[in-house]
Amino acid sequence: MNWFYIKGILMLAGMNLMAVLGLSLLTGFTGLFSFGHAGFMALGAYAAAWAGVRMGLPFLVALLAGGLFAGLVSLPIGRLTLNLKGDYFCIATLGFGEAIRLILDNVQTFGGARGWPGIPIRTDLWNVALICVAATWFMVRLVNSRHGRNMIAVREEELAAKTVGIDTFKYKMLSLFVSAVYAGIAGGMMGYYTGFLQPKMFGMAKSTELTIIVIFGGIGSVSGSVLGSILLTALPEILRTFAIWRLVVYGAAVIFIMISRPEGLMGGKEITLDAIRRLARPRKASAGAGTRAGAEGREVQP
Amino acid sequence: MNILETHDLTKIFGGLTAVEDVSFGVRSGSISGLIGPNGAGKTTVFNLITGIYKVTAGQVVFDGKPIHNLEPHKIAQAGITRTFQNIRLFKRLSVYNNILTACHDLAGYSVADAAFRTRRYREQEEQLKSEAFRLMDVMGLAEWRDKQAVSLPYGVQRRLEIARALAVRPRLLLLDEPAAGMNPDETRQLMTLISRIRDEFSCTILVIEHRMDLIMGICENIVVLNFGRKLTEGPPRAIQSDPEVIQAYLGEGVKTGA
Amino acid sequence: MAQFLQQMINGLSIGSVYALMAVGYSLVYSIMSFSNFAHGGVIMLGSYFGFYLLTLTKWAFPAAFVGAALCSAGLAVIVERVAYRPLRLRNAPFLYFIISAMGASMFLENFVVATIGPTFKTYPTVLPRAPIEIGPIYIGRLDIMIFIISAVCLALLVYFLDRTKVGKAVQATAHNPRAAKLMGINTDFVITLVFAIGGFLAGVAGVMFGMKYTVYPQMGGITIKSFIAAVFGGLGSLPGAVIGSLLLGVIETLISGYFSSQFRDLISFTLLIAVLVFRPMGLAGKATEEKA
Repeated sequence: MNWFYIKGILMLAGMNLMAVLGLSLLTGFTGLFSFGHAGFMALGAYAAAWAGVRMGLPFLVALLAGGLFAGLVSLPIGRLTLNLKGDYFCIATLGFGEAIRLILDNVQTFGGARGWPGIPIRTDLWNVALICVAATWFMVRLVNSRHGRNMIAVREEELAAKTVGIDTFKYKMLSLFVSAVYAGIAGGMMGYYTGFLQPKMFGMAKSTELTIIVIFGGIGSVSGSVLGSILLTALPEILRTFAIWRLVVYGAAVIFIMISRPEGLMGGKEITLDAIRRLARPRKASAGAGTRAGAEGREVQP
Repeated sequence: MNILETHDLTKIFGGLTAVEDVSFGVRSGSISGLIGPNGAGKTTVFNLITGIYKVTAGQVVFDGKPIHNLEPHKIAQAGITRTFQNIRLFKRLSVYNNILTACHDLAGYSVADAAFRTRRYREQEEQLKSEAFRLMDVMGLAEWRDKQAVSLPYGVQRRLEIARALAVRPRLLLLDEPAAGMNPDETRQLMTLISRIRDEFSCTILVIEHRMDLIMGICENIVVLNFGRKLTEGPPRAIQSDPEVIQAYLGEGVKTGA
Repeated sequence: MAQFLQQMINGLSIGSVYALMAVGYSLVYSIMSFSNFAHGGVIMLGSYFGFYLLTLTKWAFPAAFVGAALCSAGLAVIVERVAYRPLRLRNAPFLYFIISAMGASMFLENFVVATIGPTFKTYPTVLPRAPIEIGPIYIGRLDIMIFIISAVCLALLVYFLDRTKVGKAVQATAHNPRAAKLMGINTDFVITLVFAIGGFLAGVAGVMFGMKYTVYPQMGGITIKSFIAAVFGGLGSLPGAVIGSLLLGVIETLISGYFSSQFRDLISFTLLIAVLVFRPMGLAGKATEEKA
């Protein structure tokens, strides 16, 4: 266990975190279950690689370009799929995820199934950390605004949300767009980390893994997604000897979580400064039930 | 002056005609009632007014402008909100967050504003929070502030749904069976509440109810539906003594609440 | 022309296997209103069951076939007990079921990878290789067998659903589970039975896939074709699932025959998107407006 190894795990966790944060917004906060999210990672990865390698843009700009490209593609996809009911939406996203991978497999300009080698290594611990912090910061702020609350309303009771004036379609699109941008940036970071890209890196297995982390961390919790990403990326690396069994255990764990604690690790609550303070201090006698101060805890209620 | 009018409103689902040629008006500032036996089409009318169903034929005119077939959220933004027969609260959210969420349109800040916590964001969020607290106080919900909506007693849930609807600052509030499941005492409190809402929030109210004590007690005008058609409309006295209404729905011996 | 007929026949053959998968999936959907993503895992294991019954225990082909199907039925029932029943008993939202299904699918696929290993396995040849010639067309004996077996299975299923008391109970539950329960139908039993039937069909499909292609742990991914076919035909409609599957098989084969086989899967997905956008209720479904 040396620093280099730990660094690698942290970077992988960070890249997963990016994608998971995005998916968390879509699935955890807006209630839309996508099983093809790795497709957006792929789009971002290839676009970022193109921007950097073929167009010579600097690393961070290329990442942003990748993210934006994925976001742009999400718009027509959203238009087509966001009006579909639950099950249909899941199948449609599954279809899109696979379709993107298939297209990449068959289009030779990007190397087809054999992949695109020779991408310069630019991702390092510092820029991953920086991007993750910025991404988390943005996500927390988004979720704690009226825009975030509107997405949560869509998740909780879409019909009622409409009757209080929320344009549910617009918010679903916004949620999808942001989640796609996040996934795209994550994909971009991945490409510049491994030095090559292959469509199969972004297949159904990856999409499933992302969804599992979101569930594990707890729907509707940013801190849950952060913790979940770190734990579920680090753990299998540490248990590398049991690598083959990792996904078997994952599968069983998912069933177990659904049956016993579907609200996941954080149960939809957040780790906030207030919450930490409350844990550290013994409970004061009730400071008046209706006070403003009491209500100001930055809990994003599930 | 009528704040709302329906003209020959018709809704057909496949083989079922739920509502046919229903025309009525709701006077601005009034508390009006929509009554009729089960299956008469009352909730369908509400759904047509609020855009949840598209009309098959006919019109809904609000404040002089046709609103039928608009998207539900646009209709809400135009000033019509409602409660539901089967309560549709944001179940896992607290009372506070249910109302705060519904206040969203009182602010105009963008995603960027939220991301950078600009002055605009902070000021407007304060406004939203104040409004949410005000509504909780007015509706007597302050003590339930942090409780999850789904865990509330039934009567409180109903009040919360009304509070949430009021957060949108509607000019017309549609209440779908607000007294369902309430005992006479609670119903009386609800009647007082509805009158207060009309006065303090300056909104017109249209109520679907089966509880005649409530309807006769506070409604100034009542529209009676039967089998998807309008049977008649008029003030409570007239409705109570209308033989057709009595036969179709009321039965003999209905007393007013007064 | 001959080429066209040839492709049609290939398409129908593959379509009939899709039909078996789609029907099993559609049955579960109509009873429980969720997409059983673990269906692929059962198909895959059915293929492995058949393979081992043929090669290890060296049963005769028909016995191995039926044995594999029965094992798959049993497996499907176990999956239901472990992954879905607890959720059902707690009235969990349907999305929990989907996630649990994903977990089950992941578990099954990787269990095979971890134990048996990822290498492809090939079924021993059961039929003579030579195709049957009818004029200019060659029909593989395997394709004929596949088509016949699928047709027989589906016919038996229709008979069961329409003519037997239990079958009618299944239909009633599919229409309205709560009402069925109130009428005295043991819905728990019906659900178990439906999973068993779906599993049986999946096992048959798995064996036939294994025979036509090869056996490998990820082959369960083919189940997405059954989703597409079922959506195409109209989710919840069994005749729709069959027609959708046959059409899907034919369209896929024709396009990959006349254009390029690389894009075969892409065609299915495009078809899926097109259906979802333009006619989400599928061929057999009705356009319904949700009553609020």
